[in-house]
Amino acid sequence: MRNRVPAVAAALVVALVACACGARGPSGGGYGDTGEITYWMWDSGQLPAYQQCANDFEATHPDIDVTIEQMGWDNYWGRLLTAFVSDAAPDVFVDHTSKYGDYVSRGLIEPLDGLVEESGIDLGQYVDGTARLWVGPDGRRYGLPKDFDAVGLFYNTEMAAAAGVTPAQMQELTWNPADGGTYEDVIARLTVDRNGVRGDEPGFDRNAVATYGIGLSDDLGAGAGQTQWSMYAAATGWSHTDRELWGTRFNYDDPRFQDTISWWRGLIEKGFMPPLEQTIGGSLSQQLQAGRYAMVTEGSWNINTFAQLGGISLATAPTPIGPSGERATMSNSLADSISTGSPNKGAAWEWVRYLASPECQSVVGQGGVVLPAIASEVPAAEARLAEHGYDITAFTRQVRDGTTVLYPVAENAADVDSVMKNAMERVMSFAADPSSLTEVNAEVNALFTSG
Amino acid sequence: MTALAPARVGAGPAAAPPRRSRRETWTALAFLVPSLLGFVLFYFWPTLQGFWLSLTDYSFFADTSFVGLDNYRRMLGDETFWNALLVTVEYVALNIGFQTVLALGLAVLLHRLTQSVVIRGLVLLPYLVANVVVALLWFWMLDAQIGVVNQVLGALGVDAVAFFGSEDWAIPTVAFVNTWRHLGYTALLIFAGLQTIPRILYEAARVDGATEWQMFRRITLPMLRPVLALVLVVTMVGSFQVFDTVAVTTAGGPAEASNVIQYYIFDLAFQRLDYGYAAAVSVVLLVILAVIAFVQLRLARANESDLA
Amino acid sequence: MVHTDVTTAPPNPAPTTAPAATPTTLRFAPGRILAWAALIGVVAITLFPFYWMLRTALSNGTTLATGGSSLLPVDFTWGAFRRVLGLATTEEAQAEGGSGTSVEFWVYLRNSVVVATLITAGQVFFGALAAYAFARLRWPGRDAVFFLFLTALMVPPIFTQLPNFLLMRDLGILNTYSAVVLPFFFMTPFAIFFLRQFFLGISSEIEEAARLDGAGHVRTFFRIIVPMSWGPVITLALLQYVQAWNEYFWPLLVASEREVRTLTVALGVFRAQEPQGNPDWPGLMAATLIAAVPVLLLFLAFGRRIVDSIGFSGIK
Repeated sequence: MRNRVPAVAAALVVALVACACGARGPSGGGYGDTGEITYWMWDSGQLPAYQQCANDFEATHPDIDVTIEQMGWDNYWGRLLTAFVSDAAPDVFVDHTSKYGDYVSRGLIEPLDGLVEESGIDLGQYVDGTARLWVGPDGRRYGLPKDFDAVGLFYNTEMAAAAGVTPAQMQELTWNPADGGTYEDVIARLTVDRNGVRGDEPGFDRNAVATYGIGLSDDLGAGAGQTQWSMYAAATGWSHTDRELWGTRFNYDDPRFQDTISWWRGLIEKGFMPPLEQTIGGSLSQQLQAGRYAMVTEGSWNINTFAQLGGISLATAPTPIGPSGERATMSNSLADSISTGSPNKGAAWEWVRYLASPECQSVVGQGGVVLPAIASEVPAAEARLAEHGYDITAFTRQVRDGTTVLYPVAENAADVDSVMKNAMERVMSFAADPSSLTEVNAEVNALFTSG
Repeated sequence: MTALAPARVGAGPAAAPPRRSRRETWTALAFLVPSLLGFVLFYFWPTLQGFWLSLTDYSFFADTSFVGLDNYRRMLGDETFWNALLVTVEYVALNIGFQTVLALGLAVLLHRLTQSVVIRGLVLLPYLVANVVVALLWFWMLDAQIGVVNQVLGALGVDAVAFFGSEDWAIPTVAFVNTWRHLGYTALLIFAGLQTIPRILYEAARVDGATEWQMFRRITLPMLRPVLALVLVVTMVGSFQVFDTVAVTTAGGPAEASNVIQYYIFDLAFQRLDYGYAAAVSVVLLVILAVIAFVQLRLARANESDLA
Repeated sequence: MVHTDVTTAPPNPAPTTAPAATPTTLRFAPGRILAWAALIGVVAITLFPFYWMLRTALSNGTTLATGGSSLLPVDFTWGAFRRVLGLATTEEAQAEGGSGTSVEFWVYLRNSVVVATLITAGQVFFGALAAYAFARLRWPGRDAVFFLFLTALMVPPIFTQLPNFLLMRDLGILNTYSAVVLPFFFMTPFAIFFLRQFFLGISSEIEEAARLDGAGHVRTFFRIIVPMSWGPVITLALLQYVQAWNEYFWPLLVASEREVRTLTVALGVFRAQEPQGNPDWPGLMAATLIAAVPVLLLFLAFGRRIVDSIGFSGIK
């Protein structure tokens, strides 16, 4: 009697939990063509444009209602996960290249190949590379691109003028990991200490810097380094993985990468870039505004934010030309994905198709926040963004020149980023040498062999 | 569970005849029904599920299989886990140290110095502001480059301190921020306890020529024991679960220097979808907390009051 | 506001109801000056961030960071308060660094009041019942059950959040007040623990006397225990009210729709609406200040009760 109690209790627990957990996970969904569909997005800046798209869409599809819900990036992925677990996911949601691989491997989002083919959508209409980013590790398509972005330089024009750096100079900077080239010369020139001595002048006090030549974000970009270091590393000819997309071997052990990081970190020692520990807190834009940074590397999606900064005037420039003889910039694209559990996948597809059409993308382009993914809509959007007073070609010319590298999509992305976030923080805070990344690389690659 | 219960039974009416005792059991049950319902439904049952999941490789969407004690074994060799535990303990020590001592001092000041409701209200002000907002506010005020605190320090000739950014400062800073928010709250708890101490005791002591310090040692502290036990247990459990402040400021960094255990659990469960392992870490945390709370209650003889 | 009271702050005259409470215990002495200095120091550190909030709330978001450590608002404007209260147009808001979304203040205020009031009422009442059973009644397994209840304080949120969410969904009450209130309504370990510790301190002689007069447990509870613990009960109610008021993750999960959204959730959503990672600091600070005002008023209204209850338990 006595020893039966634990066994019975255990059986009871198993039974109860098993039935409770039955409620989890997405259902197979359905293919309803009408009804209400929910659409989630995170960028509030783009909400008006997408609401406009939804209104236009509802006018031509009277039996479909689109409800848009917007929540900030910080809440977005957590709530999406909860929604998936409780089978209450939005029918359609804005997806990110760094996330969707994990959804694909868990069967949470719907492959679109059949629908794309049936609808006769021309994948050639999209900006080069964007359509490819949304073909998953299994070779199937999980999204239609909605926009694209690239990385460039934003610099303070008054500080540049005071330093004698001309806009023409900024357009033709060169860089190499050994001495930093003319790029580092400019950074040094833009750096000013509290006594007004510039970084390239004798007597410069690197421990009392008033304005750093180049800013540093508290987010080091984990494994991708999108806006932080990818433009340098890629300009050496280095690439993140063994394949452009869905690689399974990372190259953080490559000397070209480690030399790049050594150079980058060296800027801190020289006093041209703030120590990592000082960057935790304020955002890049606040520091720019406060005059702490003369220049930053940032994505095109922040043009609008920077344009609104009062009290300073900024201009754009393309990333520098590297040892490979070419510039490099990381390009990424967002897309809309359909949840596997959606009961109205028919209607959801109509909406996704509309979002990826020239009709909606021209509205988005006019929204003046991002660059639409359909190539023919880009010039109009460029003109609209140029109204902010910025030269957008600093970003788009690299697309035209073919010097973009794609965002390094990979499986196990969350784990890779977790490992790399830590490793890069150690290196940049001088707790570890760049050579430590060789060992880290082995750890990352092990994620792909252990299954 | 029974074996864990405090053996000492403290206050309460003296032993009663069996018949009344049985009636009292039924009365107690009736008084407990709503709480019991809430406890089982919203705490006990989910925890049971969580315990079960810690024995599996549950990851939300993939097939789940039973892995026995594998998750617990994995913890033994998981450096991040041990680091998280260490960092958390450091935080708890700092937080309890600051918060309890300061709150006790503040409560006594409020009790012995002034009757002003306004001052009492003022010290509670930070508690009225949501956790996340408090964290953001200090995150900004303590920024190394443009934060007001460092600008003032700079004007005084002190080098900028990377409060959230340096490995040495991150945890003390988080502890300070949380102490700032909870100081008035904790002081008010203690204050409520101070009120139950009969004034007549202090008057008698004064007649005997006792100093303030003697009165504090001989009257305040002993009489306050049940409430201090409450404060200690609640602060301890609360500090072990620190999460919000870290999540909106350092995100566990720099280089894991503030990767507290709840943040690690969150990261495992919701970023890496490794729920089974996250559940195992949670179970360990639960057990650690229960043991510490039990010891605290025993040491503080929380079931007794010198008043009764 | 109340700021001016800090520096002058004379000890208030003692409440007439309890003359014995006059703080004459500390005579004018160096110790007393030191004590006042400490108190003023604590109050100052407590208040400075609030001043900083106000200063930020009255600044223009687009030029905020150019102001450095200036103690005055940067480019003074009421804009932040206006856009939080929904009085500004989208264009006006975006011109000052806001996102163009506002907080529908009065709707969310109503929701917060409803939710916090229900939660507090449930917690205090049911908590007091349970605390009485744990502190004043004798029954087998009492301390073990109490300790079990106490472990509820320690249950990691990742265990409770999803199952409770699924429960609300299965009950079909997502996006209702019930869903926000239920998990906190019947039982919260802190309330039980708190009241139990105070009930323990009540003299058993009074209870015995009541029993001799023929009062049952229910009568004793309502007529003796609760009135004698009025101070702690009000304190608990206030603290739990604030706690419920500031609850964020749970209401966000189960009641994100406008009709039932609480002020704190709205504030969080407002914060998350930051255009591309650049928070609308003035807006956030204005919203925070506004959201804290109702609770502050509540405290000022009930704070006096805590003082007045002094001396009750001294009667023994």
